[in-house]
Amino acid sequence: MRTLRYALLLTLAALALPAQAAGDEGELDAVHHTSDGYYLDYSPFGKVELPRLFVVRRDGAIGFEAFRSSTAAVASGLYAIGGHGDGDGPHSPTAHAIDDQAEDGVAAERAEAGEDLTAEELGEANAEEILGEQVEPESAYDAVLVPTGDASVVIDLSMTRHLVFVFVAIGLLALLLLPMGARYKRGVGRTSAPRGLLQNTVETIVIYIRDEIARPNLGDKTDRFLPYLLTVFFFILTCNLLGLLPFGATATANLTTTAVLAVFTFVITQVAGTKDYWMHVLWPPGIPWFVKPILVPIEILGLFTKPFALAVRLFANMTAGHLVLLNLVGLIFIVAGMSETAGWATSVPALGLTLFVYALELLVSFIQAYVFTILSALFIGMATAEHEHDHDHAEDHGFTAHDIAVAQSNGRDSAHKAHERTVGTEGVLA
Amino acid sequence: MTLFVLAAGGLLSTNAGLAFWLGIAFVLLLLLLGKFAWGPITSALAERETTIEESMTRAERALAEAKQLQADNEVARREAEGQAQAILRDAREQASAQRDADVAKTKAEIVRMQESAQADIENQKQQALTELRSEVAALAVGAAEKILRKEIDAEAQRGLVDQFIADLPQN
Repeated sequence: MRTLRYALLLTLAALALPAQAAGDEGELDAVHHTSDGYYLDYSPFGKVELPRLFVVRRDGAIGFEAFRSSTAAVASGLYAIGGHGDGDGPHSPTAHAIDDQAEDGVAAERAEAGEDLTAEELGEANAEEILGEQVEPESAYDAVLVPTGDASVVIDLSMTRHLVFVFVAIGLLALLLLPMGARYKRGVGRTSAPRGLLQNTVETIVIYIRDEIARPNLGDKTDRFLPYLLTVFFFILTCNLLGLLPFGATATANLTTTAVLAVFTFVITQVAGTKDYWMHVLWPPGIPWFVKPILVPIEILGLFTKPFALAVRLFANMTAGHLVLLNLVGLIFIVAGMSETAGWATSVPALGLTLFVYALELLVSFIQAYVFTILSALFIGMATAEHEHDHDHAEDHGFTAHDIAVAQSNGRDSAHKAHERTVGTEGVLA
Repeated sequence: MTLFVLAAGGLLSTNAGLAFWLGIAFVLLLLLLGKFAWGPITSALAERETTIEESMTRAERALAEAKQLQADNEVARREAEGQAQAILRDAREQASAQRDADVAKTKAEIVRMQESAQADIENQKQQALTELRSEVAALAVGAAEKILRKEIDAEAQRGLVDQFIADLPQN
């Protein structure tokens, strides 16, 4: 009971702090809070800027340029603020361009109207203020840095907030699992029963992943791919959970992170693919020749849509949850802007809802780690399954001899049914 | 509209630097955990499972053996009991036979002793009779002599005596 109360307190603290921080600046920006950046936000205690590292082509020569922080980079004179952030650090140049154009557009409009702003324009200006646009003086950590002089950035290898939390997750996993491995090596859990809450918990998860995720999909190839599945599950889970801590950031609420993970699954799938798998993709057997030119491009496209769906699903789930949380908190301040009393009144249901969504997020953290892992196992399983190919592909998504053959080759019938279903309804799972 | 694009720019932006570091870090994590965590853990689990399975099979086998042993013991015990009873019965039979034999022997002895006693008695009686006869004869002769000395001669006496002896009962 005491633990629960403590957890609630932590939750409230986690939610209150960003809100308070936003209050200091007179704004609450959910997108800003969720997305990546080149600093750690410990508001209201302050911000810690992260080191910047650029691979840069300056006067025709490629070199490294490292700075303690974004501010230091600007102070060195080698970099200039190329545009302010829209709430986060890393911008693509195109987004930046659109940003500039938008400013120009608004400015032009204002010029035309001669400061005679309509209500609509005022609303737009307010919205921009809420989102933190064009209000603050430019700060280096929140801006896009462009090299000065005849130089261009080849690759920006700077530490970002999400990268820090990736490292934190890796550190935590190493701290948790390496001693655990040593424990098993010593014999605790090998010749005796596992001891302690931690070992039992980890073991339960490991056995679940092995028996419920890996084995049904991979059959006798389980041992080969189990380490990857375990790593990816624990990594995603840790990243997801870190995002729920006070001052935490969700590394998995970043399309780059999830894309990298999906690429790992993709590469493993293709490398592990059997001859059967490639035959299936490039020259599907058992269908009339004139259908093949239509089907083969679809199959090839399918190779890429699978990891794409993996990446987007994880990213969208983790991002959406945080946005909902922050928006629920933001509701209080929006209402408080209209009437302070109403703001206080709103805080009760808003915090209740926040708590509910927070609990949901906790659940989603586990579910998304599970979904990513099981789909990875499915894709790898599909690529490594060895089965007969004399089936009729016209009735592809019924339950055909093909399915039975795959299921038999993988050792379990129901698992394959599940996999066909899952593959067919990836969108729904997301 | 502009706001949406900007918001999307923030959330959907990709970062090659992050991908680079994450790629390296994740590969390292895979290698590290694969070698030092998942390796020992999964091998330990597999080992433990086989051990448990083996122990269970062994236990089952031991149980079957114990049951077999118990059954064997039961059979042996019954056999022993049967043997003991047979021995007891034999002993009892032997004892009773012995007793019967003893009784018969004793009876025979008694009969023999009775017979021998009777024979003795008979002998003694015969002897006594013989003695008595000769005594009686001597007495009679003495008496007769005394009488006859007075009344008849010796010849008449002898005739009388013989007559007397002949009249005596045979046994």
